[in-house]
Amino acid sequence: MIMKTDDHDHGGQTSARTIPVRVLRQDAPGQESYWERHDVPWEPNMNVISVLQKVAAIARSQDGRPVAPVAWDCNCLEEVCGSCTMLINGRTRMACSALVDRLLEEHPDGIELRPMSKFPVVRDLVVDRRRLFHSLERVKAWVPVDDSFDHGPGPRISPEDQEEAYPLSECMSCGCCLEACPQFTRIETPKREGETEEQFAARRAAAFDQGFIGAHAVSQAVLFNKHPTGKMIADERMAALTGQGGIQMCGNAQNCVAVCPKHIPLTRSIARAGRAATLWALKKLFDR
Amino acid sequence: MTLPSFVSRNQFLIYRLFSLSGLVPVGAFLVVHLLTNASVLGGAASFQSRVDLIHSLGPLLIPAEFALIFLPMLFHAAVGFAIIAGGLPNVGSYPYMGNVRYTLQRATGMIAFAFILWHVIQLHWLGAPLGGGRFDPHHATSTAATVIAPLGVSLLYAIGVLSAVFHLSNGLWTIGITWGLWTSPAAMQRANVISIAVGVVLAAAGLGAIGGLRSTDVAAARQVETRMDDFKRMMEGKAPGADAGGHGAPGFPATVPAADAIDLRAPSEPSALVIPTPTTSSIPAGN
Repeated sequence: MIMKTDDHDHGGQTSARTIPVRVLRQDAPGQESYWERHDVPWEPNMNVISVLQKVAAIARSQDGRPVAPVAWDCNCLEEVCGSCTMLINGRTRMACSALVDRLLEEHPDGIELRPMSKFPVVRDLVVDRRRLFHSLERVKAWVPVDDSFDHGPGPRISPEDQEEAYPLSECMSCGCCLEACPQFTRIETPKREGETEEQFAARRAAAFDQGFIGAHAVSQAVLFNKHPTGKMIADERMAALTGQGGIQMCGNAQNCVAVCPKHIPLTRSIARAGRAATLWALKKLFDR
Repeated sequence: MTLPSFVSRNQFLIYRLFSLSGLVPVGAFLVVHLLTNASVLGGAASFQSRVDLIHSLGPLLIPAEFALIFLPMLFHAAVGFAIIAGGLPNVGSYPYMGNVRYTLQRATGMIAFAFILWHVIQLHWLGAPLGGGRFDPHHATSTAATVIAPLGVSLLYAIGVLSAVFHLSNGLWTIGITWGLWTSPAAMQRANVISIAVGVVLAAAGLGAIGGLRSTDVAAARQVETRMDDFKRMMEGKAPGADAGGHGAPGFPATVPAADAIDLRAPSEPSALVIPTPTTSSIPAGN
């Protein structure tokens, strides 16, 4: 059905078969979105990025109308930068590692591309994932050493701890866990008339602070609270984890771990953060 | 301080209390309630004696009911509905088992809430002004069996009970994650097996109670209950009898009146048995 051509020789490099691609487009923030169809010539070993490159090169929709190229984000093309997240056939994943032939095996009717639904659309498939990074700031997902003094060698980390920390450190901030999470809902704060950039940024940050931090931030808090230097501000991270929109918002659907392209044990991080939050709450209650 | 600011500043505490209240006291009550009901499988007398045990709390029963059952349940439901309103189920796009359970947890919570509301109105004395309140603790089996007798009511009870049981047993699993009891995927899997086992046992108890009530012979059950009630009244008549005893507590028939002596169609009638005429077979006051 996809291969709407006369060619049935399967895998011939000169094949003229095309792939129908449906893209949910949006011209600017806050505007109406609309579907657009494209026919993309099939080539061996395509991924969704190369499909989008072809869409841009052709710059015509299925009905032959000249259209502006579809905008999208990408960078590393090897599933480590986290920038090309989109909804491919309704499921959040990285466009670079979404191989066309596999997609066609699952959905012979073609490929459907949509922007992530939990972040405001900038244009077409490009979204503003600022909130994702704001969450990392909320839980202080870093080691608080930020100067040029010689602090001597850092504390030793046992191989066991390294083995637990490494998978968590693989997080690439792609946002798949947030897109799939039924508890993480979209926060969009359009700029108001006459508002300065500073006022707008403050209002947006305040809105983000009300919302769920998300699985990625919980996992990063667990990572840095385990780190011998990072744990020096463990209490500040626990305050963020148990603040508004903290770990209590998790509904245990466990979609995060199911969609994580890096297979990070996010639910283990969440349960560990839950245990830490339990102990922290008891500490706050009885140790002061 | 406004309510929204109080709620947002104490969100963690409120959600943890919500989680805890689902287990204790609400979940614990459900377990006791279903196991108590399942005793009807042992006959009307078995169920009646357990109901009597609960009602032996006397004046403490109503405060206990409100403090340990109704208020925690309302709190759990109120926070639960707020959580449901804040979520965005997406099981269509992500049909994973955990996500299906997330969605079912919310669906069963709402079904169970609607069912419990109906159930309380129908049986509890609180529902009497609304035409319900049909459960008589002195005639536990016969009144419950009469209410549940229509097939449609039984089916709705089965749906309500199974929803509540799923909600509790799945909640048992998620509570362990929320509080950090089981953290690794392997531990979650083991906890899952236990949660399912708990669910199966509770579902069997709940459905068993419905089946037991449906197969009850209401007339015979009523006869047993009346006999037990008479005995209780007799015991009560004796117990505080220090002042009354000298004047001779009213005697009670040691034998039960024949079944045909009780008018089953008129529940108010047996009150005639409360003060039976002294007969030759009175129990001696000194026991």
